[in-house]
Amino acid sequence: MKKRILAIMLTAAMAVGLFGCAGGQTTTREDANAGAAQPAAASTSNKVKVDPYNGEPVKIAYVAHDLGTPNNQGWKEGIERECASWGNIKVDSYSGESSAETQVQIMTDVINQKYNAIILQCSDGTALAPSVKQAEEAGIPVITLNLDADTVHSALVMAVDYDAGRMAAEKMAEEIGEAGEIAIIQGVPGLKRTDQLEQGFRDTIANYSGIEIVDAQSASFEKDTAITVMNSFLQSHPDLKGVFAINDAMAEGAALAAESAGKKGQLSIWGADGEKDALAMIESGDMSGTIYTNSWDEGSTAAKIALLMIGSEYSYNVLTETPKVIMEPIVVTKDNVASIPEEDRW
Amino acid sequence: MKGFNISKYSKPFILVAFVLILTALRPTTFPTVGNIANVLWSVSVIGIMVCGTIFVFLVGGIDLSIATLCGFSAVVVVEVIHFFGDTTLGVLAGVIAAICVGAMAGCVHGFIITTFNIPAFLVTFASQSVFLGLSMVITNNKIVSCTAPAAFTAIGAMKVFGFPLPIYFMLVIAIASWYVLRKTEFGRYIYAVGGNATASEISGINVKKSTILCYVFSGITTAIGGIVLASMTQQAAAATGSGYTNDVITAGVIGGVSLLGGVGTVPGAIFGAVLMGLLNNGLNLMSVPSTHAGLVKGLVIIIAVGFDAMQHRDQSRKRAGFRLFKKKAA
Repeated sequence: MKKRILAIMLTAAMAVGLFGCAGGQTTTREDANAGAAQPAAASTSNKVKVDPYNGEPVKIAYVAHDLGTPNNQGWKEGIERECASWGNIKVDSYSGESSAETQVQIMTDVINQKYNAIILQCSDGTALAPSVKQAEEAGIPVITLNLDADTVHSALVMAVDYDAGRMAAEKMAEEIGEAGEIAIIQGVPGLKRTDQLEQGFRDTIANYSGIEIVDAQSASFEKDTAITVMNSFLQSHPDLKGVFAINDAMAEGAALAAESAGKKGQLSIWGADGEKDALAMIESGDMSGTIYTNSWDEGSTAAKIALLMIGSEYSYNVLTETPKVIMEPIVVTKDNVASIPEEDRW
Repeated sequence: MKGFNISKYSKPFILVAFVLILTALRPTTFPTVGNIANVLWSVSVIGIMVCGTIFVFLVGGIDLSIATLCGFSAVVVVEVIHFFGDTTLGVLAGVIAAICVGAMAGCVHGFIITTFNIPAFLVTFASQSVFLGLSMVITNNKIVSCTAPAAFTAIGAMKVFGFPLPIYFMLVIAIASWYVLRKTEFGRYIYAVGGNATASEISGINVKKSTILCYVFSGITTAIGGIVLASMTQQAAAATGSGYTNDVITAGVIGGVSLLGGVGTVPGAIFGAVLMGLLNNGLNLMSVPSTHAGLVKGLVIIIAVGFDAMQHRDQSRKRAGFRLFKKKAA
């Protein structure tokens, strides 16, 4: 009997707790809506045109996916170099530490601090879309880098993705004589850019009847994990002819594993990005090639567009889709790696 | 005296079972010297680190700074080598510097935790940020590559009798750590402190000194792990070793180390690391796509650890005459 009374009391307490919670949530949600709606209504009409080349103070925020990666550092330097010539333009960089949630928080802060433009690499295009929209509505142009947002905004500057996979596939097929077993080292599944890269590679390889993709494993973009994955590839597929890694860091790991297995230079190992270390490994014959994009140039292109947008009367609402700028990809092999000068190696 | 007791050997039993299953599934690729070397190579960094961190677990502490301290020591070794112009002397100096950094970090952890009586969780949680910050400042948040002196790249990759060097490091450190814990007075103190710190204090053990030493050991092995990792990947960055905190703690816990202190052995912890390595290797060899790998991994760990725990529960039940389930059935 005692137990039953206790049970009833507990249930009642839980129910009250639930209603309490639900009530609380509704109010906060309403508050949040009200908060979001106000700046939007106030600002669509007054996107302030500022001339960045006329000495007026301008500040640009760069919100990176993870500042610890060479790519992100390359873009950061490109943006900074572009703006360094003008003393009135200030660039602040923020690292999203590979988390879309962190990026959303940073975006809120950046919008509140009234930056003149935001350069953003969306860790998750869907999760960041509301933040991007909020920024654009507040009159802050958003330029995305490589990773798009699922909403119309000022511009997207990107390296080729699908085509990079296609080019790597064509080159690898040529290198291995259009026959043999190959494998793919994947990144983290679900990122649009890298999924496209892999798709491009797979679609192109499908045209060669002699080539078979015998394995595909994730190494989470990490060099050390790629060593382990490559080791197991070499064990289970002794006749492996080639490996395509979705990024250069993993291709470098694969090359290290091949070297340790006594197969240095015997496999066709391709990456994508074109970072400094990968180019050095192509020079030394450890790696076959990569699809190079000049990250510094990409960053400075994004900065140029940001300055253009800051100084123009246009805002995102005249657009029906996000305009794109696509960076020129260069297929780098041992034959032409020397043509990429030191000052273009990021 | 007593008959064969499976519970005492349940961990080796699970490993053997694993090896047999994988051999049956992949008879040509799994049971080769090369593949076993790969498995051990891939767990060597975690294995090295868990041999020191187990001391911290045994006194009831925790070290959340493993990943970033590992990264920091990787940065230190690489930067010192560059400072010495990529020479063999530089490698020696770099290794010593990194180990000193690890030992000092552990010393500071232990000192703060014991002197101010702050939970280890908080101290190491804060310090992980400090180490990450230091690495970022030193490297300017860039990857520093280091491919030059052969003495450095050999640390992580040179093969001796078909097995890469880090495996030997892991073995030596594991034996040393096992010896200290099992065969020395200090080792018994650690188990005592982890079991009941107050009672140990009263019975004359210098709890403060023992605890600080435990953190120093953890720092040293973490630094060695960082050196090996830097050499294996021929680079260092602030992000080097990210994720290793989880891996090391998981290896320890799978191996039967209690996070509450006082319970756990070095062979157990190594078992945990090797089990995880075998699991990853098996998934790779069987080409399990990454979308399914997490699911399979989790289930297998639960089954293996559950089996292990069941053996030990049976044992303790017999000893204590605990009959809860039988009673209910009747």
